Amino acid sequence: MNPEFQRNLWLEAAPRRIAWAAVTLVLIYGAALMLSRDIPYGVSGVGDLGVVVFSVCAMVWGARAAGASVLTEISDRTWDYQRLSALDPWAMTWGKLFGRTSLAWLCALSGLLVQTISSVIVGKPALIVLFVFLISLAILLQAISMGGALIGVRKARAEGRVARAGGVLGGLLVGAILLSWVAGSAGFQRGQGFEGLSTALGAGSNPIDWGGAYWTSTTFRALAVSLFAAWAVVGVWRLMRLELQMRNSPWVWVGFLIFLAVFAGGFMLRQGGMTGALVSGVLAVALCAYAAAFAEPADRVRMRQFHRHARAGDFARAAPLAPSPLAPFILGVVLTIAAFASSLGGYIRPEVAQAAALMAFLLRDLGVIAICRLGDRPQRGDFAAVVALGLLYGVGGIIGWSVNHQTGAALFAPLGSAPLMSLVSGLVQAGIAWALVVRRIGPSAPPSAPASVPAS
Amino acid sequence: MIEVKNVVYDYPSARALHGVSFKVEAGAVLAMVGPNGAGKTTLLRCMAALDNPTEGTIVIAGLDTRDDPRGVHGAIGSLPDFFGLYEELSVRRALTYAARSRGVAQDKTAAAVEEAAARVQLTDRLEMRAGELSRGLKQRLAIGQTIVHKPRVLLLDEPAAGLDPEARRSLSDLILRLSGDGMTIVVSSHILSELEDYSTQMLMIRDGKVAGGGVVAAGAGVRDGTRISVTFVTPPAELSEILSGLGLTLERRDGDAAILLADGGEDDSAVLGKLIGAGLKVSAFQPARKTLEDAYLAQTRPETRS
Repeated sequence: MNPEFQRNLWLEAAPRRIAWAAVTLVLIYGAALMLSRDIPYGVSGVGDLGVVVFSVCAMVWGARAAGASVLTEISDRTWDYQRLSALDPWAMTWGKLFGRTSLAWLCALSGLLVQTISSVIVGKPALIVLFVFLISLAILLQAISMGGALIGVRKARAEGRVARAGGVLGGLLVGAILLSWVAGSAGFQRGQGFEGLSTALGAGSNPIDWGGAYWTSTTFRALAVSLFAAWAVVGVWRLMRLELQMRNSPWVWVGFLIFLAVFAGGFMLRQGGMTGALVSGVLAVALCAYAAAFAEPADRVRMRQFHRHARAGDFARAAPLAPSPLAPFILGVVLTIAAFASSLGGYIRPEVAQAAALMAFLLRDLGVIAICRLGDRPQRGDFAAVVALGLLYGVGGIIGWSVNHQTGAALFAPLGSAPLMSLVSGLVQAGIAWALVVRRIGPSAPPSAPASVPAS
Repeated sequence: MIEVKNVVYDYPSARALHGVSFKVEAGAVLAMVGPNGAGKTTLLRCMAALDNPTEGTIVIAGLDTRDDPRGVHGAIGSLPDFFGLYEELSVRRALTYAARSRGVAQDKTAAAVEEAAARVQLTDRLEMRAGELSRGLKQRLAIGQTIVHKPRVLLLDEPAAGLDPEARRSLSDLILRLSGDGMTIVVSSHILSELEDYSTQMLMIRDGKVAGGGVVAAGAGVRDGTRISVTFVTPPAELSEILSGLGLTLERRDGDAAILLADGGEDDSAVLGKLIGAGLKVSAFQPARKTLEDAYLAQTRPETRS
């Protein structure tokens, strides 16, 4: 058996803990049965309670446990001991992901069992698609939690602090809120792909329009969540490789970005054609660039090494050190060019020009984020970057608007009203930002550490 | 067994290691000494493939730490200065996990656990929870976890920190036993006295650089050239002349005690025979050992002068 899985089973699924969990679940289901005895469709209600139990156990308790599988190693000072083991990254990943959540899964699966029994009694149709959706969603959330913890550990190490569960959870929540806010902001105003996505998630039983075809909503959702769950597990495995000192080539990350661009673009294909689909892909990968810029450890040494190897033409050594926002930025540029190419022969559609301006502003924003995060106090870098971007878009936008409404505002955001002006302004600002980044990264050899204290 | 070549390590705003190079032969016990903040822990982390050097290479047991970090992890045992244990696991389960996660086959795990427990004298506590052990016993368990897979190289960072004298003595004995089994051991500390008993070589790190002449022989069992420490009973006033006539040099005299320098090639029994033959009453006779402190001071003195 995988030793990491075994160790987690020893700690999590000890007989006494299982017995206590079983007693608790029997009491919950027993109480539900008693209450529903005299209610019409009461058995169905107990089945629904099973789904609630599954959701709470697998998605809340399980996600928390998955994140804790890494963070408790940090707080207990056993993480370096684990990193020194001979376990391969995949064994370490699934051993933690399914070992630490083993009791949560046992309790959660009891909920699906109750739901199945209830469905058989009331003669409901098969629940396989629902179960695939629920289980995939649980794995997705658990993998995001564990991946967030691994990202938090890497960031904390680079910033000279200790990763904590509160910080990681807060980072994930704030990150999700900010990304959704950016997706709905003026700069992304033509991101109908995301509207399509949100429509898909809330489509109820209506068919979903994706890739030029209509799909049964339940099947589409189950399949999509399964695919994202698989990518999330792959992502955790890649992060674990980094923690175990292995080098990652950028190709898996690029593969995910292409998958995401295709997924987002699929919602726009019927309405916007290939050009619209490509623009949606640009928006999706641009969001990934923002997320990656904040998720990356603020590590000036790594940036210097990347620069040195790239300058020497040693791309084999440079590639694993490449900053992770680089791939989505390059892919975004490629997709923008493809969108231009696909719209040739007709007029350049506003969303295509705006996508180009968006890439220029993305380049500037990545520079601003890097300036803030690579300072002498990187632990404040994330907050400083959010404030700086807020000022640039908020205050800058207000000043521009007050000078000359749409045209002035376009100097400070990639707006569709004056996309060429946005493009030029974004490129100029990006040039200034990246010149400051180069200065901040500093010389290739930093000064010596302060003199040491004599031995006793 | 260990080859460190031109290792540079940069923190974002400071360079911690400046082109460190040295070699350690198989079976040696190397004391890595130096002031606090000299770069010892950073160097040990690079040697354990927990951090990658900015420049340079480290080869441990034939494996490059950058190209094959997991291979290095499997070949070494490493105990950091601040370590944690799985406090809810029993000692047996903690050692079992350590063995399995470090590549010991399933059918050989039980024997490896028993052997490691015996080596760190925890056989009678195998069923206790790790959290119930005292500080010294936890240290033993941590070392047991580190050696359960019989690594070829053992890296210990400040292993005696926080231990009482008895626990320090048993740690010294353990390191000597492991060294006797052929393990190559690197022990880092800034307290020289705790390294004295078991080290055979010394490397001084100062301000991120190798100070002195690199790895030097020192510590346990290392003879300090031809020096002999002799205590006489009522030594004559003309002791220096008498010794001169015997072909010995009086290097230092402090009351009845003296440090003599013998000619190279002359064995200790011959020197003792000469002294007694010359009518000198000898109450103690001991070839001088080169202590780590001697070696440390010898290496720091030229720098202090400069």
